[in-house]
Amino acid sequence: MTDVMPDPLTLAILLPLFGAIAAFLLPRAAPAIGLGAVVATAAAIAVLGHLVVQAGTIFVPLGGWGAPLGIELRADGLALAMLGLTALIALGVGLGALAAFAGETEVGGQPMARQRAFFWPLCLLLLTGMNGVYLSNDLFNLYVMLEVISLAAVGLAVLGGTVAALRAGLAYMYASLLGALMMLLGVGFVYLQTGRLDLAGLAGAPDSAALSAAFGLMLVGLALKTALFPLHFWLPEAHANATAPASALLSALVVKAGLYILLRLAEAGPFPGEAILTLMGVLGTGAVLWGGVQALRAERLKLLVAWSTVAQMGLIFVALARAGLEGLSDSWRAAALLILAHAVAKAGMFLAAGRIKDVIGHDRISELDRSAVRPALAQLAFALAAISLIGLPPSLGFIGKWSLMEGAMMAGNWHWVAVTMAGTLLSVAYFTRALTGFLRFDRVRAPLDEHRGWALADAPPVVLAGLAVGLGLAAGPILAVLDLGTPFGAIP
Amino acid sequence: MTVLLAFDLLLAASIVGLAAATLLMRDAFAMIVAFIVFGMLLALGWARLVAPDVALAEVAIGAGLSGALLLRTLAHLRGGGLSAQGGASVSAPTNGATQGINALLAGLATCALGLAYLGAPQNVPGLEAHVTDAMPESGVTHPVTAVLLNFRAYDTLMEVVVLLAAVIVVWQVERGLAETPAPALGTVYQGFARVALPVAVIAGGYLLWIGAEAPGGAFQAGAVLGAVAVLGLLSRHVRPAPAHRPLARGTFVAGTAIFALVALGVSGAGRETFEYPPAHAKTLILLIEAMVTVSIAATLAALFHGREPVTVATGKETT
Repeated sequence: MTDVMPDPLTLAILLPLFGAIAAFLLPRAAPAIGLGAVVATAAAIAVLGHLVVQAGTIFVPLGGWGAPLGIELRADGLALAMLGLTALIALGVGLGALAAFAGETEVGGQPMARQRAFFWPLCLLLLTGMNGVYLSNDLFNLYVMLEVISLAAVGLAVLGGTVAALRAGLAYMYASLLGALMMLLGVGFVYLQTGRLDLAGLAGAPDSAALSAAFGLMLVGLALKTALFPLHFWLPEAHANATAPASALLSALVVKAGLYILLRLAEAGPFPGEAILTLMGVLGTGAVLWGGVQALRAERLKLLVAWSTVAQMGLIFVALARAGLEGLSDSWRAAALLILAHAVAKAGMFLAAGRIKDVIGHDRISELDRSAVRPALAQLAFALAAISLIGLPPSLGFIGKWSLMEGAMMAGNWHWVAVTMAGTLLSVAYFTRALTGFLRFDRVRAPLDEHRGWALADAPPVVLAGLAVGLGLAAGPILAVLDLGTPFGAIP
Repeated sequence: MTVLLAFDLLLAASIVGLAAATLLMRDAFAMIVAFIVFGMLLALGWARLVAPDVALAEVAIGAGLSGALLLRTLAHLRGGGLSAQGGASVSAPTNGATQGINALLAGLATCALGLAYLGAPQNVPGLEAHVTDAMPESGVTHPVTAVLLNFRAYDTLMEVVVLLAAVIVVWQVERGLAETPAPALGTVYQGFARVALPVAVIAGGYLLWIGAEAPGGAFQAGAVLGAVAVLGLLSRHVRPAPAHRPLARGTFVAGTAIFALVALGVSGAGRETFEYPPAHAKTLILLIEAMVTVSIAATLAALFHGREPVTVATGKETT
């Protein structure tokens, strides 16, 4: 594509890989190498953004073979938005990790020096896999990328080394492997029926019961990895017991890979079969309700945040289901916006929850208001992230929910509106549980130790949560970026 | 023909029977042995399907090294004080509802598999024609190697990354437990190792070299060399120590690093990433395969060892 430099698509995937290798080889320099690699990747993405703005969709035939024999990378507006967001979150979480791993070792956990050294190779491998998924245009390649993501994610989930984290991590790994296997079976059967693996091959595939079954297998695999109700059983423990930066990455990014792939599959060739879509909608509704109820019952702050992920993922599935067989582009756009909004807000929220836990010493919700120490900035970040997750204006979450509901109302799909409203009310209820704990002073028995000074550790959660709210004001440009290369079809 | 058909039927029945037996057994050791035999028969099945590459990989990794890993884990469970009973029997989940839901979901998945298989149109042309057309430019003459190392080299690079991620995760989990008591290998085994090791090294090298024109290649060769390292570990010829860590780290990443560097290095001047110049394609593919083989062997051996090397004398975490 370019004459001297390797193309920025490959660089966006390989730069974090080289970073991971370097960080693994030189454990002591891992934080510096890691941040450097993230910044370099962001630069490659910026170059890529420049090209996408000029040309729309870009294809890179790796090895010069071209599809269907070889593998092609593809970058369009949707991929670009996800890449940019992921780099932003990796940078924010990375900065947060600098502070988080300087703290004390949790009882029964791994020494901080080890956590610090191993966080970066895993984080960068995760970034490799995520960027690979965004740029992939090939079913088998998507499966391989999911494997890279899963292993890095399992590593991050058990980074803390506590018994609870190891147990949850093992369950997560089993679920993830099973999901990968289902995905692989589905991919195999699609190849059997279409004779090719690139996504373009799906467009002309004849609609048949066999293809629906193959899609069903892939869907189940991806649903396991995305923790769609009732396959969510692994998520709350795995996300709640990981160390804060790891939780932030797991909740903000890892579960999005499956959703992104579903979005791409839907866009490449409409899902065969009404049944699959109905099932997605029903299960998404189940996730919104069940996740919300469990978040109301959670006793620990991080567990509450993890359950809210289950509920929010359900809402995105609802958006995908509403897009229907014909593929309503406004609904896909809503799904993409919700993915972006949830990623930024949840990264900020988990970092904030981790910070609160570090400062107060525990994260039991019922005792949050009894603490003499008040991590004010972290609490502010948590509240800002909650605003975006609930979907109050002008946050990015609001824009996503609004475009979903607007489309549903115009089309008269009142049941989807009702689900969205129910999810919103539940999220108000469960986040309020945490927020009241932040606000009430009257139960403090110890002498107030109001302000211990602000630390650098407060900056990443506040910035990320602030972005989750503030990006809503930039919804116009974000939508314009999403539509570059018209991944969602022509604008109506 | 009828003899072969009878053999195939017997083979298929044995594979299914062994799979069921593996699931139904209650003794962990017997379960693992049944699983290893299952892997062997599965490899035979692949060979009957004229997929010798898959058969080699299955027998080396699916049956061989997975079996070794499982047995090692069992030894750890029995000796490491994690399990109360010495028998380490496998307890079935007792919750009836969970079992019912699992059965339902597994049944649904099986139905989907059946539907997808039976409903698939017959004889859809795959990518074989494309592969045949592009073979002359691939630099090798064995189609599987051409696909793995050239046409879809990007996927293979990422598979190697998966292995790297696995070993990083295994090294990362360090719970400060004492070293598992090594299984005592008698003099017979020592003698066996002395004979088997050189032969296995040669076999691994041969598999790597022949991969360009016949079934074989980096993954199979890496598995054989990994088995060599496992024998070395078992016979205590190799004793992992903290001082080995930098070397081990370097060996783990070598395959990935060289692969990715070559991929980027050949790009530019009108060439895409992974687009080897045809004149040098075979050399580059062999270089990549050799480095990947070494990395795979080291990674598999490290997975067998199961932890970052710590000081054996105290059995305590030292860093």
